[in-house]
Amino acid sequence: MNNCSARIIVIVLSAISVYATGAYSADQDADTQILSFSGFGTLGEVHSSQDKADFTASIFQPNGAGYTHSWSSDVDSLIGGQLSANFAPKLSAVVQVIAEQNYDGSYTPHVEWANIRYQFTPDFSIRLGRAELPTFLFSDTRKVGYTYPWIRPPVEVYSLLPITASDGVHLSARFHLGDVTDTLQGSYVQSDTQQPNNNGVAIARDSFNLSNTAEYESLTFRVSYQHARLTISALDAFLDSFKTFGPQGVAIADKYNSDNKPVVTEVAGVSYDPGRWFVTSEWGHAYFDSFLGARTAWYVSGGYRAWKFTPYVTYSEGSASSNSDRGLTLTGLSPPLRGLATGLNAGLNSLLESIPTQKTVSLGVRWDFLKNIDLKLQADHTRLGADSSGTLINLQPGFLPGGTVNLFSATIDLVF
Amino acid sequence: MDIFLGRRTRFPDGSSAVPIDQIEGSPIREEFYTRLAEMSPAQIKAFWSKVIFTGRGQPPITVATAAEAKKLLSTNPNAISYVDQTLVDSSLRVVLAP
Repeated sequence: MNNCSARIIVIVLSAISVYATGAYSADQDADTQILSFSGFGTLGEVHSSQDKADFTASIFQPNGAGYTHSWSSDVDSLIGGQLSANFAPKLSAVVQVIAEQNYDGSYTPHVEWANIRYQFTPDFSIRLGRAELPTFLFSDTRKVGYTYPWIRPPVEVYSLLPITASDGVHLSARFHLGDVTDTLQGSYVQSDTQQPNNNGVAIARDSFNLSNTAEYESLTFRVSYQHARLTISALDAFLDSFKTFGPQGVAIADKYNSDNKPVVTEVAGVSYDPGRWFVTSEWGHAYFDSFLGARTAWYVSGGYRAWKFTPYVTYSEGSASSNSDRGLTLTGLSPPLRGLATGLNAGLNSLLESIPTQKTVSLGVRWDFLKNIDLKLQADHTRLGADSSGTLINLQPGFLPGGTVNLFSATIDLVF
Repeated sequence: MDIFLGRRTRFPDGSSAVPIDQIEGSPIREEFYTRLAEMSPAQIKAFWSKVIFTGRGQPPITVATAAEAKKLLSTNPNAISYVDQTLVDSSLRVVLAP
């Protein structure tokens, strides 16, 4: 044997039979730490070519790149810390705190997750408290940039359900069916999320969530379903003014308000990642029985890993099923009322146009230049739907719906 | 591999499995994951970050040297690890030599 330069790895067990009943108890792992701390962070800069509106990564951010800042570090930058505690072999707790741009523009840290988990068996657990909803493939760690190839998960799809943490009961059961690992998660939760620009609180109640993730070798497949009741009061005053126009106005107000109205979200995602390359695609549909309307979005993304570089390309699009309304009938109204009705109709339609309709092509590269730090560069070319402002916010006078927006983003992600 | 990536916590015979990793940056660890999972060190790091930051678990115990791995293997009948072939002796039971 002269080719000993090639290392051979062998996987080994101790020679003692695994059936031996020694002093060591199999269920008791003496090396498990009681407390462990982990952290993550992203430092990012984004530039937008559209200076009459802001690009943000989430509707819960008050401002971003474009109008407010030519280059914004507020869109992607954040830092988070997580403390895990193992009180007993089956009982553990997790607290995660994140500092990021809040609804009011501050960076005051908030408790993203805080839950207690009881592990009935290695494959069945219950969590009580605040946790993520496993809606999309990357929902679980959407704030940890290091865990995915892109600067941020495609906004068209991930904006369908922007809430990242919910309070309640979360159940998880894992099954092994041959070589397939199947994880079924269910939860009953609620959430209160502060919205920017004095828009009050988005209140989600009676939220039932079901998510199934099947993993087979390099293939991951997830489907999820959510049903909740959503209250957003910010537009109540505007919609109530329709009611002065009689039954037609009352019908319009009732149709578009979001007063404890149902929301249904369905998502399917698949990822194939054999190591050297990956391809990921997700499709989602959200139906809001309110001014938020019905939205469908999907993306497909692929990348190739060459040494420490992962170049990738993504195509993503989001559409709204209906984004206009004839509004109040003007015929038969007196001139002053007609003026008011015309104004309300215009207001309603500009509201419906804000439902994002857009298509984006993204090109980017991730560079794993240190063992726990990456650098990413990404260019996005977005074409807004006709009459739509897409996911843009803070629209300024002179902003024209439709058209194109170019974004350039750079981030450094780390985990520690 | 499922045991090292936390997807399975038991051996096929039902007994619990305690995987032991070599330290990050060690050539043996890199080769182990590259050859058996086709995952680079950065991909392994990203994988475990996903697990940790969903509160779903922690990566395996890590040892700094092969000698430490052998010591743990000899004291814990449920332990499983990987070592260089030249370090295999009668105290270890080989389950896979790819």
